[in-house]
Amino acid sequence: MIFDADIHPTILSSDLLSRLPSPWRRRFELFSTRAVAPPMVYPRVRNGGTRLDSWPPDGLPGSDLDLLREQLLDEYDIGFGVLIPMQGHTFGAEEPEYAAALCRALNDAIAELFLDKEPRLRSCVCVPHEAPRQAVAEIERLAADERYVQILLPTGTSSPPGDSKYLPIYEAAAAAGLPVAFHLGGVEGHRGDGWPSFYLEQHAWYGNSTAMVATNLICAGLFERVPGLQVVLVEGGISWAAPLMWSLDEAWTLLREDVPALRRAPSACFREHFWFTTQPIEEPADPAQLVAALEHTGMTDRIVFSSDYPHWDFDSPSIALRDLPKDWRTAIMSHNGHRLYGGESR
Amino acid sequence: MNDKDNPGTEATGGIDTDLHCAPASLADLEPYFDRYWRSYIEDANLGLSPSAGGAYPPGAPTTGRAVNGPDALRHRVDDLRYAVLTCVTPFDVSRNPYFEAALASAVNDWVRTEWLEGRSRLRGSIAVSTMDPAAAVAEIERLGDDERFVQVLLPVRGNDVRYGHVRYQPVLAAAAERDLTVCLHAWGRVGTAPSPSGFTHSYLEDYLANAQIAQSQLVSLIAEGVFERCPELRVCLAECGFSWLPPLLWRFDKEWKGVWREVPWVRQRPSEYVYRHIRATTVPAHLPTDERELREALTAIRPADWLMYASDFPHRHGEGGTRLLSALDEAERRAVLSGNALRFYRGLTATGPR
Amino acid sequence: MRVAVARVADFQPGERRIVRVGRRSIGVFRVGDKFYAINNHCPHMSGPLCLGRTLPHLSSSGPGDVSLAEHDTLLACPWHGWEYDLATGQSFLGPGEKPARGFEVSVQSGHTVSADAAMRFPDRIPGPYVAETFTVRVEDEYVIVDTRQGGTS
Repeated sequence: MIFDADIHPTILSSDLLSRLPSPWRRRFELFSTRAVAPPMVYPRVRNGGTRLDSWPPDGLPGSDLDLLREQLLDEYDIGFGVLIPMQGHTFGAEEPEYAAALCRALNDAIAELFLDKEPRLRSCVCVPHEAPRQAVAEIERLAADERYVQILLPTGTSSPPGDSKYLPIYEAAAAAGLPVAFHLGGVEGHRGDGWPSFYLEQHAWYGNSTAMVATNLICAGLFERVPGLQVVLVEGGISWAAPLMWSLDEAWTLLREDVPALRRAPSACFREHFWFTTQPIEEPADPAQLVAALEHTGMTDRIVFSSDYPHWDFDSPSIALRDLPKDWRTAIMSHNGHRLYGGESR
Repeated sequence: MNDKDNPGTEATGGIDTDLHCAPASLADLEPYFDRYWRSYIEDANLGLSPSAGGAYPPGAPTTGRAVNGPDALRHRVDDLRYAVLTCVTPFDVSRNPYFEAALASAVNDWVRTEWLEGRSRLRGSIAVSTMDPAAAVAEIERLGDDERFVQVLLPVRGNDVRYGHVRYQPVLAAAAERDLTVCLHAWGRVGTAPSPSGFTHSYLEDYLANAQIAQSQLVSLIAEGVFERCPELRVCLAECGFSWLPPLLWRFDKEWKGVWREVPWVRQRPSEYVYRHIRATTVPAHLPTDERELREALTAIRPADWLMYASDFPHRHGEGGTRLLSALDEAERRAVLSGNALRFYRGLTATGPR
Repeated sequence: MRVAVARVADFQPGERRIVRVGRRSIGVFRVGDKFYAINNHCPHMSGPLCLGRTLPHLSSSGPGDVSLAEHDTLLACPWHGWEYDLATGQSFLGPGEKPARGFEVSVQSGHTVSADAAMRFPDRIPGPYVAETFTVRVEDEYVIVDTRQGGTS
């Protein structure tokens, strides 16, 4: 049975509204939300971003559990699937109380419409990430429900993710024994690289964004402060990780007095605290180079298969990763996910 | 440091494609500003940032001692065929586009008068405005006929759009027309956050961000069809590292296959443009320490097709550069030490300067 | 097997029908006055190819400039967007250089690119996948798919 670490559900506005208390329901009805999600800036020029066949008769891709079962869980024998509700990225960026209400409604809707009905599914705790006090409250509300397997954050945060502002979130996650997952998205920003013109560029930047998130968390000494924290990098690719570790270690040798909070080699932090999901798996012309790149990370047991259903660049569980050594593939398709998130490997 | 002791026949030395010089203070540039700007500088009590806007903190182990005058280069270039000077002083500027252009011109005049004059092994970089493309083109036109300049110099970061953007097309075209290489060099305008999320708290992260941002510029140049419009254009990524290339190209090529219709002027796989039009300098060289991993990494990186040697003097980036050169075979070393630069910069000859 | 898909009069240009022919699901497309039949299975990752958009050939002389061909002769998989020539099933990547160069760069070992397809799209890079095509004929006002023969006749 296959473990899929990145599935995207959608909660329709009507299902969200019915779970929003006053005054937030009215506010949402009248004004919706402010955060600028990536597709608003970079239209997804391939099928609008999702597989064309993933549109249910009523609703949006990812909103229909039956279709999700048919096209993914049953089709590919997925025994364990982790939902990544990207709506949490933008809800979590609203002002504290509004964000808290939206995230609570989202988490509850996911539970009722997906988790309660489908034992193969798990989800993330979506949190008001720019309001750590409220985020901690939501983590504490749901941590005991074993169907929430991690805390979800976007890569696009208003401050660098290692900033002390976010520390309570990491501490709460670690205290609950839950990893934190960073998924691409959130508020779109390009303050360092300059705004790209095309979706192609914006999407190609995802590996770099993820690399900078990881760099920041490590250099902030986060793992010295919260040694129990595990971090999952979702949809950011993997092959950039070894070159990043070489550069982190080399630079740290020279510049370590600038980061006194970091007390061991950055690559050691990386290898002990990070995990990757596979999609979109890199596909060099020579597959042996992918094998080498993954082997250089020293983290092949920390890679977990993901499909990214229903997005257009979805990786088919039965076909993706065919060029990897069999024992890696077996672990990636099943065992590694269970080691990370619990549950039974079958 | 003149050439009388080295007549320049059959030189065998390498070509250093990134050697830094910098004025010790704005006073050094004073002769090259007009009266208005001298007065502006005085009124603002303007001085050069000792750290170049945070790029090179004077005490950082990577910074080294500033090269303020040609004496500091004594013996540095004795064994070289050529050395390309870069002065990144104009990177550290305010938002005043007119001052930026004036500072760039002053630096260029300082370099050609006080460095290039009488030193046939040195070549220069034309610093240009990043905020005013017309001013940048004017500066390229002003100095482009001076054969001692081999490239146009731009900071890799600090602008609100990337260099492939249509706004920069005239600048890139002006460079290509004159057979000038375009150098995107590490660092950029002070006050820009290096990461998507915001400012970093450490120099270490900022230092490493040059590599990430260089990748964004590479993607931009190709996605925007710059090399279709200017098939002769050559771009050098300086002091931005290079070992990040293969994973980026795997991702870029794969994504292009799905969304090529957004950029239909990209007529080949993105990776094919890279090896034809873009090079990176050899430092910082961030490579694995394990020998086998190093060989495998270099197989994917293709150093003979991608790299040009640079000392990046006075900056120091550790042992990676030495380890890189030791790992290359004879043919690769020749390409990296001089062969690639000979083909990437105008006016350089295999036998060296006359 | 031969299957009648529809009356010609009921099958307008730009329309498609997806029909079961034995064990296969086949998409039949009308482009102008021509009919094409292609297997409803993308060789890349097994997506339902015939649910995808049909697209015209597209070329660009430079950044910001684009021109489209008159007819939609390409079918893009509704998953990753791999584009297939409806007539031959040959997949194509983005635009490319002149054929000789495009071929050498892209062809995987053992794969023969249809010369007919390459001629029809001289500035496209052939891709590694070929979808199965079938013969479509109009007989007595009916559109007939014949799976006994390939689609290049």
